[in-house]
Amino acid sequence: MNVTITFRNRTNPFIPIEAEMITPDAFLQDKEILVGEGNRTVPLEALADLVIEGDGFSIEEVDILIRGDSSRVKRVGEYMNGGTITIEGDIGMHCGNFMSGGRIEILGSAEGWLGREMQGGEILCHGDAGDYCASGYRGGRRGMRGGSVEVIGSVGDFACEHISGGEVLIHGNTGDYACAEMKGGTVTILGDSSRVCANMSAGTCYVYGSAEEMIPTFEKKGIVDHDGLLFHHFMGDVANRGRGHLYVARYTYLQ
Amino acid sequence: MAEILLKNAYVIDPISGINGELMDIAISGSRIVEEASQKAEVIDCQGYLTLPGGIDSHTHTSGTKVNFGRYMSPEDMRAGRTARRGPMHITSGYSVPTTYGNSYRYSALGYTTLIEGAMAPLEARHTHEEFKFTPLQDSFANTLFDGNWGMLRALEEGDITRAAAIIAWTLTAVKGFAIKLTNPGGTEAWGFGKNISCINEKIPTFDLTPADIIKGAIRANEMLHLPHSVHLHCNNLGTPGNYTCTIGTFDLVPDINDKRQSLYATHVQFHSYGGSGWGDFCSKSEPVARKVDFSPQIVIDMGQVMFGRTTTMTADGPMEFNLYRLHHDKWSNHDVELETGSGIIPVNYRKKNLVNSIMWAIGLELALLVKNPWQCLLTTDNPNGAPFVKYPEIIALLMSKQYRDAEFATIHPDTEKRVPLPALDRELNWHEIAVMTRAGQARALGIIDLGKGYLMPGAEADIAIYPIKTDEIDPSAEYEKVIAGFSRTEYTIKRGRVVSRRGDAIIDGENTTYWVKPKVPAVYDMQHDPAFIELFERYYTVRMSNYPVQEEYLHRNYCIETETDL
Repeated sequence: MNVTITFRNRTNPFIPIEAEMITPDAFLQDKEILVGEGNRTVPLEALADLVIEGDGFSIEEVDILIRGDSSRVKRVGEYMNGGTITIEGDIGMHCGNFMSGGRIEILGSAEGWLGREMQGGEILCHGDAGDYCASGYRGGRRGMRGGSVEVIGSVGDFACEHISGGEVLIHGNTGDYACAEMKGGTVTILGDSSRVCANMSAGTCYVYGSAEEMIPTFEKKGIVDHDGLLFHHFMGDVANRGRGHLYVARYTYLQ
Repeated sequence: MAEILLKNAYVIDPISGINGELMDIAISGSRIVEEASQKAEVIDCQGYLTLPGGIDSHTHTSGTKVNFGRYMSPEDMRAGRTARRGPMHITSGYSVPTTYGNSYRYSALGYTTLIEGAMAPLEARHTHEEFKFTPLQDSFANTLFDGNWGMLRALEEGDITRAAAIIAWTLTAVKGFAIKLTNPGGTEAWGFGKNISCINEKIPTFDLTPADIIKGAIRANEMLHLPHSVHLHCNNLGTPGNYTCTIGTFDLVPDINDKRQSLYATHVQFHSYGGSGWGDFCSKSEPVARKVDFSPQIVIDMGQVMFGRTTTMTADGPMEFNLYRLHHDKWSNHDVELETGSGIIPVNYRKKNLVNSIMWAIGLELALLVKNPWQCLLTTDNPNGAPFVKYPEIIALLMSKQYRDAEFATIHPDTEKRVPLPALDRELNWHEIAVMTRAGQARALGIIDLGKGYLMPGAEADIAIYPIKTDEIDPSAEYEKVIAGFSRTEYTIKRGRVVSRRGDAIIDGENTTYWVKPKVPAVYDMQHDPAFIELFERYYTVRMSNYPVQEEYLHRNYCIETETDL
């Protein structure tokens, strides 16, 4: 089953669209897709052209393609458990919330909270991602628990906050406080990062670039070889009796 | 005036001495009357259990502390969301829901009156504003005096009359209802980083012990003839071995009021711990319950703990700090200048945890061991022990030995050696439950004269009709039906209007805030007392003229004027 959703131009393109029903599962079950625009609830067809080709018998056969201006479309792929979603442009906040299976590919950039609290599946973002990429939510104690997220560009602040499982690969740089409160999983940052891994208690984080303003409460363990490169190995966060591993290629402490 | 006739109501009304009679109840306007006219709207109760509207004598639903709990727990706001529906506003939150969330859910359980357990006088405005948006229940505010410098100074000088005058001025100014003491002396000491170990230890800033404060407050309370007694949260909450302190506190209480108790001790479950540390922590509900049995001047409430997530919030700042050291999670600490303090942390009571399992057992034991149900009221100290939505489960546990045994089998296996609960066979009946959830509260709070807690002509028409036919279900075996029945009323009637129908609020409602105004002779009017004015000008950051809560903040209200002995 191939589903193509083309968002039409809107008079006011800044009003967010809440589209938690855009998941392969909903199309497979032939549900009526309702979305929220501002304070009203409308069928998806009121905002986008919908083309459905072929039949699907299992979730794996459902492929969704989103075109047009989707930069304000929020919660696409929430609780998704299989199939694929491909987004040609940018996508709004909370893409792939709680997803447990399937694959989301974003050819543009993603807004904040990409893959928040995800438990499985795969997200690939070719552009940049906003704040709180692959993280937990306000007040939550556990963030991403499984699956994988790959961002080719850079990400905003608080990437992978509260992460407790899964794998994250960020090709660009991260903002402030990447991997704060990390409890598990593996995060690899190929660019630079700042104040990385504050309050971590477990898990592994690699920073291939420079770790600016390193948190002072990490115990230095020595230099190790990883991937043919030399890394400074730290353990911590000691302030939190943490036993997490932080590997950084270069680092500076706050002056 | 609108009239309603309830037909075939199976009424249990302990205050009027009715224990299960099929009768009709006529309502005209906001009151219950002898007879309704032909025009009355008829509601057929089909023999369903009909009780006076529920009264929660100790709950935390409004005020700055509760609100801080809300905004430090965004994760709690993700639970329990309901959409806007008819006249119902959108709600969210589980242990610290929005005001409408509290109001709708209490109403679905048949509750029509709430007593906010602790209102800091300085922050009374916020509490009253939240009362206004808790529209389906009448509200009362217990006002904190545990660290009130004016009162403590007067007590230090041995001048009880002056202490009473200060209490009278403050209650009138902040539109409070009763005197609440939270860890008397301890919260004051916490302002200086200390705590008090028990009732006979001197507090660091005044030449007083908690015992002096409690005894002084009880006497001042009776001088002012306040409807309710002193409402006490004992010292040493939550520490192993604190039951001796609790019993010692109960020993201080004279029997000086004929109509009601002289001391209301709240959430006694948290004060009935034995052992010398967490290693040998055990239940001491038996000596505490026995003490209550021999002390008719004391009424307690359970403060039952139920398993699951919740948020603890209290004016007992030092205790919350100890909890923070156990949990290492979020913690809020707050000082209210010259008056009190507070602390908040989220907790998760778990069955796998031995201490939590023992706490769960102690609350039930207190309710089962105290012989007179009028002396042990049902609460969870919402949300400290559990959110109030657990009340139906607690009722079922108290009514069914079988349910208790089934639950007991799922908790920490070592609990058995530390608590007497498995040996208790008592199963409470419908009448006792009615006492513990409304009649007892009405008497303890001294609000029967206001028409609360009973169903005779003249009473306020606050009625809860539960879809329970007491002759058709056996509560000791069919506890699931008891839980379901108490979870959702068929009708909740508040001040003569049906406010909730099968769990849904059907009108906006408008509540009343009750407050007291003791009539103090001019000599004791603190408004013009030079020493009191000086205390204000010297220490408070607020001007005395800006301190009182203006009546605009109160919306609909009722002033209880009392004659005093000053």
